[in-house]
Amino acid sequence: MTFSEDKPVMIEFRDVHKYYGDYHALRGIDGTIKAGEFFSLLGPSGCGKTTLLRTIAGFEGISSGVIMIDDRNMAGVPANVRPTNMVFQSYAIFPHMSVAENVGFGLRRDPRTKAEKAAAVEEMLAMVGLTGYGDRAAHELSGGQRQRVALARALILKPKVLLLDEPLSALDKKMREHMQVELIKLQRQVGITFILVTHDQEEALVMSDRIAVMFEGGIAQLADPETLYRRPNSKQVAEFIGTMNFVPATILSEVGGKVEIEAKGLGKVTLDETQSPPPRGEEPVVGLRPETLTLLFPGQTTSERKVDGLIDEVIYFGDMTYYDVYLGGTDVEVRLSMRNVPGRPILDVGTRVEVAWSPEALVLFR
Amino acid sequence: MAQSQSSEAKTGYMLVAPPLLYAVLLLAAPLATVLIYSVLTGENGAVSLPMTTENFTTVWTGRVYQAIMARSLYVSMLVTLTTVLLAYPIAYFVSFHVRPERKALWLFLITIPFWTSYIIRVALWRTILGYNGIIDSTLIGLGVTSEPLNILSYGVVSIIITLAHAYAPFAVLPIFVSLEKVDRALLEAGQDLGESRWTTFLRVTLPLSMPGVIAAVLIVFIPTVGDYVTPELIGGGKVPMIANMIEIEMLKKRDQAMGSAIAVTAMSIVAIVSILFVLLNKRFIGGTK
Repeated sequence: MTFSEDKPVMIEFRDVHKYYGDYHALRGIDGTIKAGEFFSLLGPSGCGKTTLLRTIAGFEGISSGVIMIDDRNMAGVPANVRPTNMVFQSYAIFPHMSVAENVGFGLRRDPRTKAEKAAAVEEMLAMVGLTGYGDRAAHELSGGQRQRVALARALILKPKVLLLDEPLSALDKKMREHMQVELIKLQRQVGITFILVTHDQEEALVMSDRIAVMFEGGIAQLADPETLYRRPNSKQVAEFIGTMNFVPATILSEVGGKVEIEAKGLGKVTLDETQSPPPRGEEPVVGLRPETLTLLFPGQTTSERKVDGLIDEVIYFGDMTYYDVYLGGTDVEVRLSMRNVPGRPILDVGTRVEVAWSPEALVLFR
Repeated sequence: MAQSQSSEAKTGYMLVAPPLLYAVLLLAAPLATVLIYSVLTGENGAVSLPMTTENFTTVWTGRVYQAIMARSLYVSMLVTLTTVLLAYPIAYFVSFHVRPERKALWLFLITIPFWTSYIIRVALWRTILGYNGIIDSTLIGLGVTSEPLNILSYGVVSIIITLAHAYAPFAVLPIFVSLEKVDRALLEAGQDLGESRWTTFLRVTLPLSMPGVIAAVLIVFIPTVGDYVTPELIGGGKVPMIANMIEIEMLKKRDQAMGSAIAVTAMSIVAIVSILFVLLNKRFIGGTK
């Protein structure tokens, strides 16, 4: 995932703060978004992700700091002249206009002739898969079609940055998954920087080159999806993205970037510095993802380390089964996931098992 | 089941009977009377056969009638224009710039003119606009003018001022409602797509609020065409409108047939104008939903 590293910077935040009265909505945002990147702002509601998006669009001013877009300071630059366009959460399709009028809305000042503009609108509609829908009234469209109109309307202006405010949240699950793939394809096709706001971690992981995880007005971690998933830099990020087991640990020694710990139920482990994000003064715990733990069925062996376990709960998901297992005769319970491949039985509650695990999969939070 | 349905229907009829009776006796019957009178021959406060279209011929071709009809339309159109132009900014302000929890209070304040009877308000406007009235004495006191303006004597102007003030709340409310329905994200979308606040207003807000504007136009236009009190008391009878003409025919000339014919003509004109506006409204509503 080195896609973003050699790209030029499109957007830069320098210590951006935003206050609504006493409420501190953005608390010192720093970071860069690269040109051509699919970037996501991910976080729970109220974390400031939409506010940050709106400050890029110019709908919200900032209280202090600097936002640069394409090397231009955006202070005092109103929304209508910024090189950004937005796909609104509600799509904001103009109800008194046809599909073609909606898509061509931003072309009023365009010096091209009427026929050229109409051709551009047609081309845009074809790109989002709405060929022949130009004359339809806005209210005749389904949710997915409205979203495509909103996309076409924004992209026709060839913005440097396309802002997407939870564009998929109003669609049903099937449609959402379909549109995720379509958006990725579209982004590759047009090569424009996309910034997506979402509260859906799965959506962010699927679609993004890089993700900024936000909590309480600040960016907690800015990284590519894999790093975010495998090496979250805090317990909070780890909890927000996917499922993470936390096992209490004590730190035994710390020499030259290596940390030796005693994890309850797992025993002594030595961790690399990449597995140990900067300390935050919390009780030390190690995190491990369910899929990094493996149940050993009778007769199976492993080159990894293993520990005894007792199955406490079995949750069957069709393609997967989740087991909640007590580790090493302790009260430490972890959840692990096993693929339901043919010939592999579903084990019962109360079964004594062995659990294989790998020290490289651990992350230490302290 | 059928039993209970029919008894329910009976109860329903019983319940609507009083207002129905009221409507038939006080609205439908007089209306029918006016329609019938308009095609009869009137003389000395009575109507008689034979049926004739002569009344209508007189009303439609008579210079005086035409002039007064035209003036009624002209005055009420000016009143409507003035009222809607004044009401729109008020409605816009309350909808867009008043905090949500204060909007009810603002709307309540807009109804304050209704706390006083219309006749009293007309009398107050006479005091304000009249010879050496409040405006005159203020302007003279400030040295802006040395002679009283006596705006009241301008007839049409003072009628417009009085009626616009009276009907403003009726115009503010429908415009306010239609502005409230405008999704605020659409305004951001307009700006996002390169339009300034003003051009966004012209391309998005104004067309979306047109149903409210048209409702306001109808609400103001329909009653002002037939207004009787204002031209009588403010215009001093110098600028009679249709209603005053009907009064003259009915009560002074005692020709109820002619009075009815004028009334029917006025109703028809108002109906035609209203239908045109309703069709216009449909066009705007057609795009919304």
